[in-house]
This record gives sequence, structure tokens and C-alpha cells, in this order.
Amino acid sequence: MECRSVTVELPHRFGRKRIIEDISFQVRSGEFLTIVGPSGTGKTTLLRVMGGLTSPASGSVLVHGKELDGPPDNVVIVFQDYSNALLQWRTVAANVAFGIERILDRTDIEQRVRDALALVGLEKNAEDHPWQLSGGMQQRVQIARALALRPDVMLMDEPFAALDAMTKASMQDELFRVRDRTGTSFVFITHDIEEAVYLGDRIAVLKGSPGRIDQVFEIGLPAPRDQLSTRQLPQFLEFRYAVQQAIGR
Amino acid sequence: MDERRFFAGINWPGTAVFVLVGLAWEVVIRSGLLEYEYLPAPSAIGLGLGQLAREGTLAPDIAHTLIAVAIGWTVAIAVGISLGFLLGLSPTARRYSLASIEVLRPMPGVAFAPVGLLLFGFSLKTEMVVTILPVLWPVLVNTMGGVSGVHPRLYDVSRTFRLSRKDTILHVILPAAMPPIVVGARISLSLALVLTVVAEMVGNPEGLGYGIVREQQALRPDLMFAYIVTVGFIGIVLNAGMLALAETVFPSSRQLRSPQ
Repeated sequence: MECRSVTVELPHRFGRKRIIEDISFQVRSGEFLTIVGPSGTGKTTLLRVMGGLTSPASGSVLVHGKELDGPPDNVVIVFQDYSNALLQWRTVAANVAFGIERILDRTDIEQRVRDALALVGLEKNAEDHPWQLSGGMQQRVQIARALALRPDVMLMDEPFAALDAMTKASMQDELFRVRDRTGTSFVFITHDIEEAVYLGDRIAVLKGSPGRIDQVFEIGLPAPRDQLSTRQLPQFLEFRYAVQQAIGR
Repeated sequence: MDERRFFAGINWPGTAVFVLVGLAWEVVIRSGLLEYEYLPAPSAIGLGLGQLAREGTLAPDIAHTLIAVAIGWTVAIAVGISLGFLLGLSPTARRYSLASIEVLRPMPGVAFAPVGLLLFGFSLKTEMVVTILPVLWPVLVNTMGGVSGVHPRLYDVSRTFRLSRKDTILHVILPAAMPPIVVGARISLSLALVLTVVAEMVGNPEGLGYGIVREQQALRPDLMFAYIVTVGFIGIVLNAGMLALAETVFPSSRQLRSPQ
């Protein structure tokens, strides 16, 4: 996936406001790219452009070399407000089937739903309704729903921001498991710098108004990453410091 | 539903108060504490009900009113949900029609009874004229509100999963808007009963409404109240039936919470 000189303007009072400008980067296959930046720099806008929900004013987004024309079919967005993003009147299993029920046949759908639920550890909750589950579990349902599609790229908009610290930590590791098992690329927005360093293979810092990519960090932390040991490594602290500095400047 | 849950589901304090009020009413009339010539005691009303049932007038009257309500309500919700849906989906359509809705809505359907009589005489159609227009509004307004109030995030989700417009409407918007639509339909049903009875009182001389007026003119307050109580009872049954129907067709509609 690639962004080429993407600029986005959105209607604002009596004119248009330039939200992000001249954004160019690539997302490598199987990579975990985190995007950090202060609030309001256009991170969500950038994600929506990559997901085909918003059109850039100039520049283009390409997936497998092809320019986007609406939401591409191998890219899925996972939203921060899981409660609004899930279909509360459907069971968990029916929610996970939502993206594939028009495309595949019955047995394939059942298999994919089962696989996706197993990936996020919600096999026992297939017949529950989302409102019966905790926040972390609901977000896992949303992730499972996205995974059922077997997308090439998962775009995640601060998916763990509304969760408590412990749930957040276990969800982060769950994403690693998913990535290792499926080979999906992740573009992950967060304003939690430690989360960005812990999860990311690369970190893109979005700054300014209009937002621009200020720096891209290569995070050379060893794999597999671990909440306890990785976060203690001196390199972790160095990266955190560097990213913090890049944002703060 | 097992017996224990049924009994647990009954509102015992509410029922107790109701029974106590009934008893108090009975005592007050019997003891002569209050003397209203045309206010019968509950026992007299009960006897009146028995008499009407024995005479065979009660059942046909109930049937007539129920059929009128059924037809009027069905037409009203068919039109109301369709229009409400279209208006809910299109902000432009809403902008152009809201003024007209606000003007038409307060018109009392009962005022159209004379019109209905002139057009259709003593017939079921007259009751329809009185019933349908006012009954339209709760379900139309609620449907419009429900559809336009579907959370924008659900549209994002439909688009990221590349749903067609038709699938978005059928599988996302319609279920999401169901709770307010069901509420609107329930309100419309209660309203349909009220207006049908009124139409029978001032227009078409058939059914329970006419029964009330007829017994009033015959100076039989016990029978008149028997009819009134029957109307009330039918209201309860219709409402409960509607709730049960909504529960079976849309099982989570009762437990649906609003999104955070």
C-alpha cells in the first residue's frame, strides 16, 4: 500500500481547510506501521483516506499499484468506538460474518467466522450480543469482523484508546499473534507513544497544521516482543525519547 | 414461557392498587357515600358485561372495532413507515416537507368525521377517514427520526465492507432504526383504537364506540361502562400483542441500549 503526495482538504466554515498535506509513504507487506502525532493533526483523516472513505484533494493512494476508487476490497478499517461500529442487534458470530456473508457461501462463512473468533479468543461468545460484552471483548469482535475478510491491510484508528491499561496490554499482544498467524499489514494510529514503539516496526510522526509526516523511525526492537522485557530495554527507552522529542518539537 | 416467569412478570403492586381502587369504588357507591345516578359500581359493570355477552351483542361489536382498527392501523403504518423511511434517508426531502408535516399533524382526525360521513355515509370507510391521518403521524415521525438518527459510524462500517446501497438499507439502516419504529407503531396502535372508537361514536354507528353512545342514550350506565371497560381491555391486549410481536420478530429490540 502506498500514499503518494496525499493532500486532503475538508469543508470548514466558509471554505475548505487543508487537514493533511503532501503525505507520502509506503506500507510494506506484513509490516506494523504506527502513526503518532498530537491531537488534531489529521491522523484519522489520513486513515480514512487510506481506507477509501474520504478522497484526497490531490495525490493518490495505491493498493498493489492500483489507485483507489472508493473503499478497496482488501483493506478494512477498525474504529475506536466499537460500540457504535458493531451491529448491536446481531450476535457476535453474525457481526463477524457481516463483511463476508454476501461474498462467500454458507460453509465458508461458518469456517471463517470460527477461525476469526478463535484468533481473538471469543469462541465461547459467538451467540452473545455485543452489548453483553466488555469493552475489550467488543473491540475484539470488531477485529474479528475485519479479520474474517482476510484483508491485506488493517487500518486501526486508536482502537485501544477507550480500554483500560491491562486490557490494552493484552490486546496489543493479541495483535502480534494475529499478525504472526495471518501476515496482515497493520497501520495503527495512536497517541500513546509507548504503544507506538512497542507495536511498530516503523513509526511515522504526523505533525503540524496542516499535518505532514515529520519523521519516520525504524524500530529495530527484537522479536518476539514482550510487555515486560521489551519495555525495559534501553533501546525501547531511546526510541520513546526520540519519538517524544520529534512530536514535541 | 414457564409459569414461574409469567407470575414473576406480573406487576403485583400495580395490580394490588388497581384491585384496591376497584374495591373502594364499590364500597363508596354501595354505602351511598357518593351518589351519582350514572356512576355504577364495579359489580354492576361486571353484571352488565355478562348481560351483553349473553345477548350476543358484545362479540360482534368487538369484532367490528377490531377490524376497523386493524385496517386503519395497517394502512397508516404502511404509509408511515415508507414515507418516514424516505424522509429519514434524505435531508433534502426533510427540509422541504417538515413545514407541511407540522401543519398537518395537529389537525384532529375527529374533525374529519363529518367529511367522512358526507363521503361514505354510515360505513367502515368513514371510520378510516377519521383514523388514518392522525394515526400516520407517530409512526412517520418516529421512523423518520429513527432512520435519520442511525449513527454515522454504521455508514462508515458499511462502506469499509463495501456494502451496496440496497444492502446498507436492508441490513444496517432498517435494523438500526427498528426500536423507534416499533415504538411509533405501538403509539399509532393505541391511537388507532381511540380514534376508531370516537369515529364510531360520532360517525358510523357500529362497534364498541356506538355501543357506548347507544347505552348512554338508553340511560343504561352499567352497560355503557361495560363497553368502556371492554375498550380499555382491548387496548391492553393490543399493546401487549404488539410488544410480543416486536419481541419475536426483532428479539433484541427490547434490550437494545443506545450506543455510548
